[in-house]
Formats: sequence, C-alpha cells, structure tokens
Amino acid sequence: MSRPDEHAEIRAQLAQLVAGGLDADAEARIGRHTATCPSCAAELECWQLITGGLRRLRTPQPSPALFERARAVAAAQLTVQAEQRQNRMMLVPLIVFSWVVTVAGWPVFRFATGGLLSLLDIHFRQIWLLFAVFSALTWLAGGSAAVLLSLRRPHERRLA
Amino acid sequence: MTGSIAFVWEERLGIDAAVQQLRRGDPDALATLMARYQNRIYRYLLRLVRQPADADDLFQQTWLRVAEKIRSFDTSRNFDAWLFTLARNLAFDHLRRVRPRSLDEPVGDSPEDTMVSRLASGDPGPFELLLATERASRLAGALENLPVTYREVLTLRFEEEMKLEEIALVLAAPLSTVKSRLRRSLEQLREMLEADDAGEVRA
Repeated sequence: MSRPDEHAEIRAQLAQLVAGGLDADAEARIGRHTATCPSCAAELECWQLITGGLRRLRTPQPSPALFERARAVAAAQLTVQAEQRQNRMMLVPLIVFSWVVTVAGWPVFRFATGGLLSLLDIHFRQIWLLFAVFSALTWLAGGSAAVLLSLRRPHERRLA
Repeated sequence: MTGSIAFVWEERLGIDAAVQQLRRGDPDALATLMARYQNRIYRYLLRLVRQPADADDLFQQTWLRVAEKIRSFDTSRNFDAWLFTLARNLAFDHLRRVRPRSLDEPVGDSPEDTMVSRLASGDPGPFELLLATERASRLAGALENLPVTYREVLTLRFEEEMKLEEIALVLAAPLSTVKSRLRRSLEQLREMLEADDAGEVRA
C-alpha cells in the first residue's frame, strides 16, 4: 500500500526519469511504484509519449547547395591558413638570412678594402657589435610586425 | 548487439581519423566531417534560431569556424561537444545581436510557418499518419514556443541523443544545471501541450 504523499513524490520525479537524470536506485524505486500504481504508470506514459515524440521529430536537412557553399568557404579558409603557415615558416629563415647578410656585409667590405688587420681594430669591432645588435632588433621588429599583420587580417575579415 | 557496438566504434575511429587529417589541413577530411554532422548541426541551429535563413547562415559560419579553429582542438577531448559548442556560441551571438529578447522568451504568438511544416513527422499508415502528423505538428509547435535555453537542452537530449555529461560540456554548465533545466523544459513543454489540448476542447 503506497503512502498518499508517495504518489506526489514519484510524479515529481517522472520528468527527471524520462530525461535520464535519476540514479539507478531512484529509477528502481519508481519502477516498483508504477508496477503497482496504474495512475502513476499512466502519468509516466504521458511523459514517455512526449519524449518519444521529441525523438521522432523529423530532422530538417540543409540543402545540397548550402552544404556545398559551406564546404567551399571552409575549404578556402583551410587553404588560406595553410598559405599563412607556410609564409610564417619561410619568414623566419628569410629574416635570419637577411640579418646575417647585413651584418656580414660590413666586415667583408672592410676586409676587401683594408685587409685582415683592419678587422682587428678595437673601434671597428665595438661599432660592428652595436650595429649587429641594432640591426637584429630592427629585423626582429619588422618580422614581428609582419606576423602580427598576417594574423590580424583574417580577424578583420571575420568582423567584416 | 556486438555488431552495433562495432559499428559505433568504427564510426568513432573514422571521425577521429578525419579530425586528425583536418588538423593537417586536408579538405577531404572536412567534407567527410561535414557529411557526417551536417544534419545534426543544422537541426540544432534551426531549433535555436528558428528561422531557416539564419540557420543557413550560421551553418556556413560554423564550418568556417571549424576550419579556423581545428588546429587548436585538443584531440583528447570530445569532438561532438567541441563542434556543438562552436555552433552554440555562434547561434547565441546571433540571437543577442539580432533579437536581444530571444534569450529570455517565451514567445506568445505561434507563427504558422515553415518550422512546423519542416518538423512534422512522417509515420506511415493513412489514419495513423494523419494523427501522428497532427501530434508531431503540435509538439513541434510547442517546442518552438519554448525559451531558447529549453529548446536547446531538449534538442541535445532527445534529438541528438547526447548524454547529460556531453550536454554539460556543450553548455559549459554543471551537470545539476543540465538536469534541472531538462526537467523544467519538459514540464513547460507538457504545460503548453495541455493548454493547447484545453484550447482545442473549448473550441
């Protein structure tokens, strides 16, 4: 014999039951109750009708044209990103190469015009070191700006 | 039983492989994933925004976003949840932008339009067909008039057949919130259906 308030307790949990949100003990308790209580069993059936109906709703489908359009846009994006990655990968060795050429150019010129001893001059070495650091910073700043701009462009396109 | 588990497992492996290929920039993998998820993502978006034109636009944006973000996807995570989260963020951004009140509807007037006709079920059998279609139309109409957060959770649970834990991932909400939201959405859906019934009886 069920307590009168047990029906209310069980019914309050039925929506949670059909949503799969109860633990095994609670499910078993409701199962035992509905096996002997036709009115709560009917109530459970109502909930199951609703969830069954939701499961059977027809699935709307995107049109083939929409699918193709979305695929083309996304594939184009993949291509753009691959190019950007490649460009960024190329940029680093190019910057290093340019910097090496710039820094090495001066002692080569000095060696060609003044001979080996001119390279050992203390003033030349100090100035050359400063120049190397300065040019490294310049190339680094330029490279960073190029990378930042390449990252910013897709972001702006998306906002547009 | 074993066959269906093997099929699900194979399908899972196929998706994982396609995700890995897509991370390497393979457009064929993109097409594979799109073919696999197109109906689910489109249905989810349509349930959220209700307007087919908006859903079309968001469908395209979702796959564009997938292409942009796939390299940042952590392959140890659930791809379904990640994909639906992308779609969800776009849809909610859209709802905030286009219809600021959409997030705390309910909508009073039922538009007698496209959605219901799109959602109506097609069970076979002449008389049953009529009844089932009628029932499904009413259910679809009631679902459409629920607040977007309720529509969303019902779609994910009963149409997408997601586990509660997966829904919690998509919503970025605790499991307890998902459970209570599901319960409230079912209760409100039932109230609407019963009110509809009562209205019909009076008429």
